[in-house]
Amino acid sequence: MPTPPPNAADVLRGTLDLLVLKTLTLAPMHGWGISQRIQQFSRGVLDVNQGSLYPALQRLEQRGWIESEWQTTENNRRAKYYRLTRVGRRAVGEEAASWRRYVEAVELILEIS
Amino acid sequence: MPTIKGLRARLRALLQRKAAERELDEELRFHIEMETEKNVRAGMNPADARRRALRDFGGVEPTKEAHRDVRGRFFEELAADTRYALRTLRRAPVLATAAILTLALGIGANTTIFSAVNAVVLQPLPFAQPDRLVMLWEENPEKGWHQQICAPANVLDWKEQVKAFQDVTMFSEGAGASTLTGEGAPRVLKTASVTGNFFDVLGVRVQLGRALQPNETWAADGVARTVVISDRFWREQFGADPRAVGRSIRVNGQPRQIVGVAPSGFSFPVEGIDIWLPRAWKPDIRAQVFFRQAHFVRAAARLAPGASLATADAQLQAVVGRLKLQYPATNKYMGAGLTPLHRFLVGDTRLPLLILLAAVGLLLLISCANVGNLLLVRAVGREREAALRLTLGAGRGRLAKQALTESLVLSVLGGVGGVALGVIGTRVLEALQPPGMLRVSHFAVDWTVLGYVLLIVAGSGLLFGTAPAIWSGRRSPAESLKEGGRGGDTRRMRRWTELLVVGEVALAVVLTLGAGLLVRSFRELTQVDPGFDPHGVLAAQVVLSGAKYDSASQARVFFDQLIGRVAALPGVEGVAGTSDVPLQSQGYTSDFVVAGRPAGEYYPEVTHRMVTPAYFSVMRVKLLRGRGFTADDRAGGPLVAIINDEIEKKYFKGQDPVGQRITFDKVPNDKSEWLTIVGVVRGERQQALAAEPSIETYVPAAQETPDAMSVLARVAGDPSALAPAIRRVLAELDPDLPISKMKSVDEIRAGSLARERFLMTMLVVFAVVGLLLAVIGVYGVLGQVARRRTREMGIRIALGSPVSRVRWIVVRHGLALVAWGLAIGVAVAVVATRGLTALLYHVAPADPVTFVAVPIVLALTGVAAAWIPAVQASRADPAIALRAE
Repeated sequence: MPTPPPNAADVLRGTLDLLVLKTLTLAPMHGWGISQRIQQFSRGVLDVNQGSLYPALQRLEQRGWIESEWQTTENNRRAKYYRLTRVGRRAVGEEAASWRRYVEAVELILEIS
Repeated sequence: MPTIKGLRARLRALLQRKAAERELDEELRFHIEMETEKNVRAGMNPADARRRALRDFGGVEPTKEAHRDVRGRFFEELAADTRYALRTLRRAPVLATAAILTLALGIGANTTIFSAVNAVVLQPLPFAQPDRLVMLWEENPEKGWHQQICAPANVLDWKEQVKAFQDVTMFSEGAGASTLTGEGAPRVLKTASVTGNFFDVLGVRVQLGRALQPNETWAADGVARTVVISDRFWREQFGADPRAVGRSIRVNGQPRQIVGVAPSGFSFPVEGIDIWLPRAWKPDIRAQVFFRQAHFVRAAARLAPGASLATADAQLQAVVGRLKLQYPATNKYMGAGLTPLHRFLVGDTRLPLLILLAAVGLLLLISCANVGNLLLVRAVGREREAALRLTLGAGRGRLAKQALTESLVLSVLGGVGGVALGVIGTRVLEALQPPGMLRVSHFAVDWTVLGYVLLIVAGSGLLFGTAPAIWSGRRSPAESLKEGGRGGDTRRMRRWTELLVVGEVALAVVLTLGAGLLVRSFRELTQVDPGFDPHGVLAAQVVLSGAKYDSASQARVFFDQLIGRVAALPGVEGVAGTSDVPLQSQGYTSDFVVAGRPAGEYYPEVTHRMVTPAYFSVMRVKLLRGRGFTADDRAGGPLVAIINDEIEKKYFKGQDPVGQRITFDKVPNDKSEWLTIVGVVRGERQQALAAEPSIETYVPAAQETPDAMSVLARVAGDPSALAPAIRRVLAELDPDLPISKMKSVDEIRAGSLARERFLMTMLVVFAVVGLLLAVIGVYGVLGQVARRRTREMGIRIALGSPVSRVRWIVVRHGLALVAWGLAIGVAVAVVATRGLTALLYHVAPADPVTFVAVPIVLALTGVAAAWIPAVQASRADPAIALRAE
């Protein structure tokens, strides 16, 4: 098993899809880039387990939310870039809304004291 | 919701598995390189950076696995299972070979028989819209006629008055013989005489020239001058020269113009037709009594567009009713009927084919039971492996699926071998089938047959794969691992294998009993006394043709000379002439009346034969009363006849027929010719050995001379040795006359049993193979039993038990299995063999001899199969046996 940095948390199963989709709303990106972005945006708190990232990408692609294409990176390497589809873009909104509801609910429970 | 894009991704993953794997590799490699670079930038040395990247990644293979899981596994598993199955089969070559051969045998036999069924029963006739063609026939309950050939004048009335018939054609029943002269050696041509609309009605187009025309039948002078030839004859005689069309050839001495060549493969009404001659009739034949009285054509109709079979039948019956009133003398009792042409032609070949199909079905089941047993034994041998895999987390379903895949791989391999055997089998069947028996001479292994094979391959794979599959999936690992050290031979598995063996013995019993009944029936047939002595007689048939034999006296002179010259040949003991050789052909039939008896009393019709005086002595037909013919019974002399004892028994009831007079009109008038009965002979079986002699009269060939006679020559030695001499004698007399048939009477007799012999042989072959497989099954299971008990037997022998008693343990086990199989098999066969009733002669379907003899033979075979493993096991050195496990 990989050892994450001491202060990093594994991405919760189920939220990974949302994070990947959200990341891709900015620009098409390859798998490694996605994992770096998530780490950056969460200021190092979230660490994506690669073992789940690639199956997730495959799953999202099968669902038709993202599509992939081989392209050249800025330093001239071939990499598989993932891009949101129109369906995917719509799904981000719904997924995000559902996540927010979930967080609010958890907050409500935590406030009991 | 899957989208189009999503589906495409899935499909790609499925179809391009390799490409998907490659992409994934590249993607993951890219990821790790990027991670390594990042680590280097953070200050690690490259080796550490890479190690760290890999560690962070958490293992490439699990990621790939997870990725694959998402992609879907079904086909991958199938491929893996197939590869695994092939590998394990390679590791057990003997078992694999045995199983594949067994299956190939079963599937090959099925392929062969089914291709015959397909060609004969399933394939449509090679005519245009064959389902619109119907066969017409006449019936006469008074004479016992069923589906009889028709009188042409009646057919013409049907054609005109039944609106549901678009057109009706007439053709000869079977084929006649014509003589071709002027094209090298004279040649006998298999001839169909047909009306001019024959090709039109069937919807067959000639490949060259033109077909016969409807009006060719109705020439004003009643003479036709054209002929259509077959593709085969065209190739053989004219080297497929297109200029043959338009040529004139001499058929039966008459010039005939070849107007067309029939398409390749077309031969109707029977196989092997060389030429189609148009029937030539004067337009007024409907007014002639002869054409209403004489029944000599087959008729087939094409239904009018939209007309149903029922409508056609109703209209036909209405016309038949009118004809009864209109022509009471000939049609009073004449009915008619129709049925689809295809069904009529399949006719009595359906039953033998179904029986053969059932036989090979049983054979396949036996094969499956055997292979199932082999696999089961091995599944048990591999139980530890299965148990280990179960404990390591493999799903039970997965294991069962793997076992099933293995069975299917086996059955597919067996199927491939089976098709190969089947293709050879169809060739053998084509060669073995008695000419004309199955209507078609070529059985193609076509898509229908291959589809059937695919079905039985899948079916048998499932059948023999089920037991091992259930077995692999059901066992609890703890149980197996506990017993594992002893090979996991459990009671449950033993029950499975024993069940299979009992089943296959039962199937083999049914098959063997069926074959046994046919063998018994065939023996009965060969022992039938036909009423003549067929040994040592050669029969050579000569059909006269050409203007020089137009008159009866010319024909008489010729036959007298021929018989005289053959009699002078060395070694010939006696020579006679006959219009028909019994069991080869039957003469025409007619009404008859004995003088002084009321008319209309005598039915069915009497069969006619014309013979020379020596006939009864040459054929050794017993004269019961009166005298035979002599040279004094000559043309112009008093008319005489000899009757067979069937007539005497049925119509004279104790009176002496000799001296009484007979005529062949239904209602005698002053023009009737009366013949005096001078003798009575024992009846000869004319139609078949299985059929009682029909009532028959013989007249001297001198008083009624046929235009075709068979010369019968009795010799002391081998009759076929005489053949060249007879050819030479004939060529000297008339080089333009060919011999149309030459066979010994023994051969004719054997030939009349060709169908029965064929069916019996096939069934015996299948039964022997089935029996062999069942014996192998018994042997295999007892081998298991013996091995399992080797230790026990060792102990017993060590303790002083006699070897024979120890052996008996195993043999008894085998006998129990065989006994169960026999009991079930006999019980099933008692019912199943009733299907054979129509094919059995003087043997009941539950024939006691067969039902006792076959089980005894099978039981003995079972003991033999049990004895070998018993001996092997008991021979083992007790010391070794004790250590065996």
